[in-house]
Amino acid sequence: MNKFDYYRANTIEEAIQYLDEFDKDIKIIAAGTDLVVRLKQNMVKEKHILDISRIRELKGIYREDGKIHILPLTTHSEILESEEVKKYATVLREACSTIGSPQIRNRGTLGGNVANASPAGDSISALFAEEAKLKLLSSEGERVISIEDFFTGPGKTVLKTNEMLVDIFMPEMTEKEIGFFKKLGQRNALAIAVVNVSVKLGRGEEKNKMDKAVVAFGAVAPTVVRGERVEKALISESLDSPEKLRYIAQLAWREVSPISDVRASLKYRQDMSINLLYEGLLELYKNNWKG
Amino acid sequence: MQEMEINLTVNKKKYTLKVPVNITLLDVIRERLHLTGTKEGCGKGECGACTILFNGRSANSCLILAPQADGAEITTIEGIGSVEHLHPLQKAFVEEGAIQCGFCTPGMIMSSLYLLKENPHPTEEEIREGLSGNLCRCTGYAKIIKAVEKASKEND
Repeated sequence: MNKFDYYRANTIEEAIQYLDEFDKDIKIIAAGTDLVVRLKQNMVKEKHILDISRIRELKGIYREDGKIHILPLTTHSEILESEEVKKYATVLREACSTIGSPQIRNRGTLGGNVANASPAGDSISALFAEEAKLKLLSSEGERVISIEDFFTGPGKTVLKTNEMLVDIFMPEMTEKEIGFFKKLGQRNALAIAVVNVSVKLGRGEEKNKMDKAVVAFGAVAPTVVRGERVEKALISESLDSPEKLRYIAQLAWREVSPISDVRASLKYRQDMSINLLYEGLLELYKNNWKG
Repeated sequence: MQEMEINLTVNKKKYTLKVPVNITLLDVIRERLHLTGTKEGCGKGECGACTILFNGRSANSCLILAPQADGAEITTIEGIGSVEHLHPLQKAFVEEGAIQCGFCTPGMIMSSLYLLKENPHPTEEEIREGLSGNLCRCTGYAKIIKAVEKASKEND
């Protein structure tokens, strides 16, 4: 394993001090389900490891002013057990249920998944659909940015070396809003997504009409991407038949720019983006507004 | 290498140990406490051979840095039964022949233990999901699932 010096912060304030002290040469560890693997492979260049896993202020789920806050050190299991999430962040809940394995969900945190910035991160695509915002804090102050503005490439974010993620929040889903998360992996457990799709729709007043649509694809571009053509069509069209949904889902091939790699080819990823989207939309249609 | 003193409770016994910061909890359990029931398979959290209970929840001990285990309460396979008094899960695994080489077995038992604690009467599908973080390369999974079903009936 990499050699490093270990530091433990018990409060956000302490963590920020360490980040300032070792600027650029310090790496944050939350649960470590990803970072420890990379430490073992000597893939971490930072010589100082800052353990934030004991910072109580960074754990928990609460509702405030129409928003649901899921603090970064909340584990995937805790998210799945939360009644608030079950009611107000259903897309995220579905995504968290597919992450890793029970052991990984018991340790891995939402903030860790976000900060890792994998283009295939399951919770990330769901947070796009949930229109989440992130609060970043440093000794220079705090800033709130939209989840879409956080990622710049695989493993890369706008997070400065002296900055940390301190809050993840999103509007509570209303009774009019529905959604889904779909993932295709090589197997069900512990599989990195070949493609994942997250969707949130807001039902309009008219039959078969939506007044809101947020669509996100994971593992098909250097970061999770929004499917804007699909979103526009979901709002402008009357969603009155499976054929219409099929037509809209096919617009997805222009939204994604996947690569071929060990997990899947470009063409397969494109086709599966369309199919997963269609499958999810069809389920929503059948369960919510058909006929 | 930087060393650090950590306190942990393993199988209800308290330990204070000085450990290098760049080893895992699995290393501590096997090399320092000599509890070698917990196995290292892949070392990446994919095979589940290193599964333990960490503060009551199942976890891959190969992915926990030793300093992160400071203050934790840990249960390993050695803590749930003995040769004379097998845990109902261990007994069921033996009776169902859910073991071949045995390397995955401690992890399988620990994941099953956690599953039955959370859900005393799981369906077959729920057992499969509960064991989805554990790989067996010998038997396939049918006998293992049967064994967990059998042990769950003891919860009646």
